[in-house]
Parts: sequence; C-alpha cells; structure tokens
Amino acid sequence: MDFYLGLVQIIGVHTLLGLSAYCVLLTGQVSLAQAGFFAVGAYVAGMLTVLGGWPLIPALAVASLAAGIVACAVGFPALRVKGLMLVVATTAFGEAVRLFFFNFTYQLERGELRIGPHGGEGFRQIRYFPENGWSTLDVMLFIWVVVIAVMAALWWMDRSRIGAVLRAVGEDELAAQSSGINVTAVKVSAMTIGGLIAGLGGGLFAHYTTHIEHVQFGVVLATFAVAYPILGGLSNVFGTLIAVIFIQGFLIEGLRFMGDWRNLLFGGLIVLAMIVRPRGLIDAGTLVALKRLLRRGERAGA
Amino acid sequence: MYGKVAVIAASLGVIGALGAAPAFAQERTVKITGFGAKSGVVRVFGINSEAALKAAAEEINKAGGVTLGDGTKGRFAIEFLDDRCNAEEGISVVRRIASSDAFVAVGPTCSNVAESLFGILQKKVGDASDTGLQFPIIADVAAKGGLAKISEWAFRNVPSEFEMYKSLFAWLKTQHPDLKTIWGGVEKDFAHSNATFGVMKSQAETNGLKVLGQSEWLLADTTFSTQVREMRRANPDIVAISAHPFTTCGVLKEMDRQGVKPKLLIGLTSSSSIETLQGCAKQAEGIIIPTSFAPVTPEAKKAAEQVAKLGGSADLHSAAAYEIMFILKDVIEKQKIMAKADTVQADRVKMREGLAALKETNGLLGKVGRTPDREAIKPFLFVHAKDGSWQVLYKPAS
Repeated sequence: MDFYLGLVQIIGVHTLLGLSAYCVLLTGQVSLAQAGFFAVGAYVAGMLTVLGGWPLIPALAVASLAAGIVACAVGFPALRVKGLMLVVATTAFGEAVRLFFFNFTYQLERGELRIGPHGGEGFRQIRYFPENGWSTLDVMLFIWVVVIAVMAALWWMDRSRIGAVLRAVGEDELAAQSSGINVTAVKVSAMTIGGLIAGLGGGLFAHYTTHIEHVQFGVVLATFAVAYPILGGLSNVFGTLIAVIFIQGFLIEGLRFMGDWRNLLFGGLIVLAMIVRPRGLIDAGTLVALKRLLRRGERAGA
Repeated sequence: MYGKVAVIAASLGVIGALGAAPAFAQERTVKITGFGAKSGVVRVFGINSEAALKAAAEEINKAGGVTLGDGTKGRFAIEFLDDRCNAEEGISVVRRIASSDAFVAVGPTCSNVAESLFGILQKKVGDASDTGLQFPIIADVAAKGGLAKISEWAFRNVPSEFEMYKSLFAWLKTQHPDLKTIWGGVEKDFAHSNATFGVMKSQAETNGLKVLGQSEWLLADTTFSTQVREMRRANPDIVAISAHPFTTCGVLKEMDRQGVKPKLLIGLTSSSSIETLQGCAKQAEGIIIPTSFAPVTPEAKKAAEQVAKLGGSADLHSAAAYEIMFILKDVIEKQKIMAKADTVQADRVKMREGLAALKETNGLLGKVGRTPDREAIKPFLFVHAKDGSWQVLYKPAS
C-alpha cells in the first residue's frame, strides 16, 4: 500500500510541474525554464523548514512566491523572443539556476552537524514530513489537496475571460494584439502563474525526496514538464494529469518489471501515443465525446 | 520376475518420494531484492551488482542454503530492480520492496539515490514521533562518505575512501619524496566523485603536495581538451582524477593526445575496474588506485570467476554485493529470521538488530570491521594498471 501511496505522491508533484508548463503553453510559448522555477521552490521551501524551522505551509507559500517572482523577472526579457529563440533562452535560464545551486553553499551548525545546501553535494535531511509524524497517506492527501486546488483554479481560469485571453494570444498573437490585448502582459502573467505553480511543486518535491541536488533540476526535468501537457493535450487541465499518470504510473513504474526493455519501450510508447493522439491524449474531440456519453447516461437514468 | 522387480522398484520409488516429500516441503524461498542503476551512464555497476548477488546466492544455495528461524532450510532467490540512478525512482523502488514480504534490500548504486532514500527511513530506531520507513537497507555501491549516519535503518558494506586515500598519499610521500606538485581532475556533477575529490585534495595537502589547481567536467561529457590544456600548462608531477571509468578514460586519452605525461597518476576507487581497462588500458598504464577488491585470495578469485560466469565483473563494488549475501546469511541464522509472510515486521527488526550488532564480518580480502555508525572498515590495497590488467602494487598493513 505504501508503494502505491508513494506513487500517487509522485504523480501529484509531477502534475504540478506539468501544469506550470501548461499555463505558458496556453499562450503559445514553449518554456524550458520550469525546472529552474521548480528548483527555486525546492531550495527555498527546504531552507525555510530545515534552517528556519518554519511550518510547511508558510514555507511552501514563500517558495511559490519566490519562484513566481523569479518567473516574472525572467518573463519580461525572455518573452521578447519567440519560438525556438525562447526555447534557447529559457533553457539557458534553467541551466543558470541549476549551476547556481551547484555552487550554492549555506550551512548552519546544529550540534555536531552542519545542515543546509552544500553545493554539488546537495541539500540533505529535509525531513519535515517524517519528523512531524506525517504518514505516507497524510503526505499523499496533502499533496493532492494542493494539486486539486491548483487544478480547480486553472479550470476556473480556463473558463473565465483570462483563459480566453490566454488562448487568444496562443492561437494568433497578431489578432489578439489588434483586438487590444496587451500580449506582453499576458505572456508575463502566464509565466508568473507557471512559476508560482512550479515553486509549489518544487517545495513539495524537496520534502518528499528529503534530499535535493542540482542534477535533479536539469534539462530532462524541464523536458518532462513540457511533455506532460503536450502529450496530455492543451484542451483542459486534465490532459496533463492523464499524461503524468501515463508516464510516471505506466511507463516508469508499470513497466519496471521489464528491466532493460523498459527504457526502449519508454520512448517508443511516447512516440506511438503522439502518432495515435496528435492533439494530445485528451483533445477537444474526446471532451465532446465524453460530454455526449454523460448526457446519454443522464437521459437513460431519467 | 520382471513384474516383481518392477513392483518392488515402484514401491521403493513411492517410499522414497514420500520420505523425501517432507524434506522438500521444509525448504523455503528467501527472496532478496537488490536495486541500483541498470540503465544510463553508470548501468554497469547495477549489472555487476546483480551478477554478484546471484553468484553469492548460488554459492550459498549449493552449500545447503540458509537455516531459518524454525529450522527449515531457505534457498536464496535474487530479484534486481533498476532505479536509473534517480532519487525519485529509488524511493519508489524501496517502497515497492518494503510493500512486499522482503525483510531487507541491497542497494543502491548512486550516492544521490542513497541520500534520498535513507532520508525517508526512520532516523532513530524506536522514535515513535518519526514516521519514516522502518526497513533495513544495506548499500553495496553508494560510496559517498558517511551516508549510513542518515538513518539507523541504513547500513553499508563499502570501503572508507577517506582511510584509503589517507593511506595512499602517506605511502606516496615515503615512496616518491621527489614529487612535489599535484593537479586534480574531478567529475563535478557526480556526488561520489565530487566528495572523494575533497578527500584526495586534503590528503595531498596534508602530505606536503602543492595543489596547482583542478580541472572540472561532467559525468556525461565526452570532450576534455580544455581541461587537459589547463593540466598541461600547470605541468604537475601528479595528476589525481576523481571520476568514473567513462570520463577517466576520456581524460586519459586526451592527455595522451596532448602529450601530458605526469610522473604519477592517481584514480578514483570506482575506476579500478574492468571498464577502465576495456576503455583505455594503454593510456591508464601505471595509474594507481586504492581498492577493497582484487583477486588475490582464493575466495576472491573464486568470487571473481563466479561473477564473470553470470555476466558481471568483480570489482570493489560488486565484491561488496557478493559479501553482503554472506553477511545476510549469517544474520538470518543468528537472528533466527523466519522469512515468512506473517513474520515480515519482526524479521525486519531482527535483521536491523543483527546488522547493527555486527562487529566483524568475513570479506573476500579478509576480516571486515564494523563501526557503530553502521559503516564498514574494509581491508584495502593499492593496485596499478600494468600490461592491461590490475596488479597489486602494495598492501598496507591494516
């Protein structure tokens, strides 16, 4: 049981990471900076609970805010460029953040121990959950309360004028601009919201893995962040969740018994999924079909 | 006549089978799960560990198996899971193992994985306020110093690199007093290489060597011309490379290309393996490495042959895995572990207590001491690459 609860925790945190990229993708931009924001959240939250002795929730809030501020600051210059240039710019930012933490040492004496981030060797003993009596189930439920809250907020946003504006910019930037939308403000806002969510995810990640180091926040994580919403589909927030379940639950954990073959299948199955569902696992067509199915069920019930 | 003989033979067969049946039923399978990197740059370590665990299990099973707490005989069966040297996957793998009937796990390969998963274990045994996982893990490869301190459920059978390099540099001082300067090379993004480089550097300075500088690269790097150029400019007497075989070979080949020929080469423990010789035997000629394994005793030779038969190669890491199986056998017998589904919790506690109580174990090179913080004090020796093989250069007095 513990294993499945742990897996659900991983799915929850990766969903947050995917949703952070989802916000930016809605505006038609591809950002590989999400792993950087995730790292900022992880280190800030870890330092606040371990070095500052803060309770978890305020630490997560500050971590999220810090990542959001960084995202906003990065958003202004980075979003002046588009397409591949933006990919290069955000990748460079992600690497800069990773290398910052690679060189970042801030340790305090606690008895015989020195605690805190220690450059390339990482930041160990972020043990807030076990030291405060949280069971695996408690951690899983907490993570999912956060995930559901974020998903609900994004769902609402998608259906509000804000969502329409984000999608308008994503569909046709020029048309959006000519209808009076401040495109830069919209893109920076999306980047900031993405940063807030990534920071939250990073903070949770640091606490359930108990040890973080720069290598965890590299290009691979950034690629996963973008792959989740693209594979899942951008028509709504659930696509990202489905993609995370597919990758983390099925490809990584479900196929573990296959040993070396798992890695071969991993890439192959993602390519297959993209061929079979080019607009994502849950696209607009799937949603219409689901709605029809639900209505039919309601009518049959009546 | 033939009918009578057939009836008697059949009867004897049935009696024999009935007699043998209870003995057969008395046997139980004791599943031991190992885990580590079986994919990615460091996959060879996982492959070697799996082969070593299986080789040792075969050896134990051939000799009659392990005696369980209720007197029945147990036969080891090995399962090995890939964590891809990824902390999240390592945690997931350990949770999966702990959700089964397993009472101990052997692994991981990478120190960054060990950092995370030792962190999810209960820190102090019996601390009711700590909800960490109560499951014993014994590491065979993860070599970064002091990892077992993280949790009282964590154990290691890895050598102390601090002691090894302390001894090596002290020995070099007596053997090569003419060597005065050293240049370091480090695989900066790999926890083990990075931490051990700190040890090498401090021991070099302690023994009067002047550190002229250091070159840095990453585990996945394939070009080293800039780093070697720095090395060439410094013109040191000694070059100490703290990196795994893949980049060690890359650097050595680049040194060869640029004509960098220091008077002495020192390598990382993990590079005293067959992979280094397969990758760059010519360029590695003369490199000195401290190691806790070399096929110099009859037991070590036999282990190396058995591991090779199963597709692995015996080095200091896989030899540790091999030794661990014998340690587990002894603890199972001493602690009267039952290895039954309904005794899992008790078996885990017994296993932890048994491992914590160990003062000494049998290693392939001799007796291995155990420290109160659950680490091993392994005998070691210095090997050097000579004529395409690892040969013993010196065995320090333990």
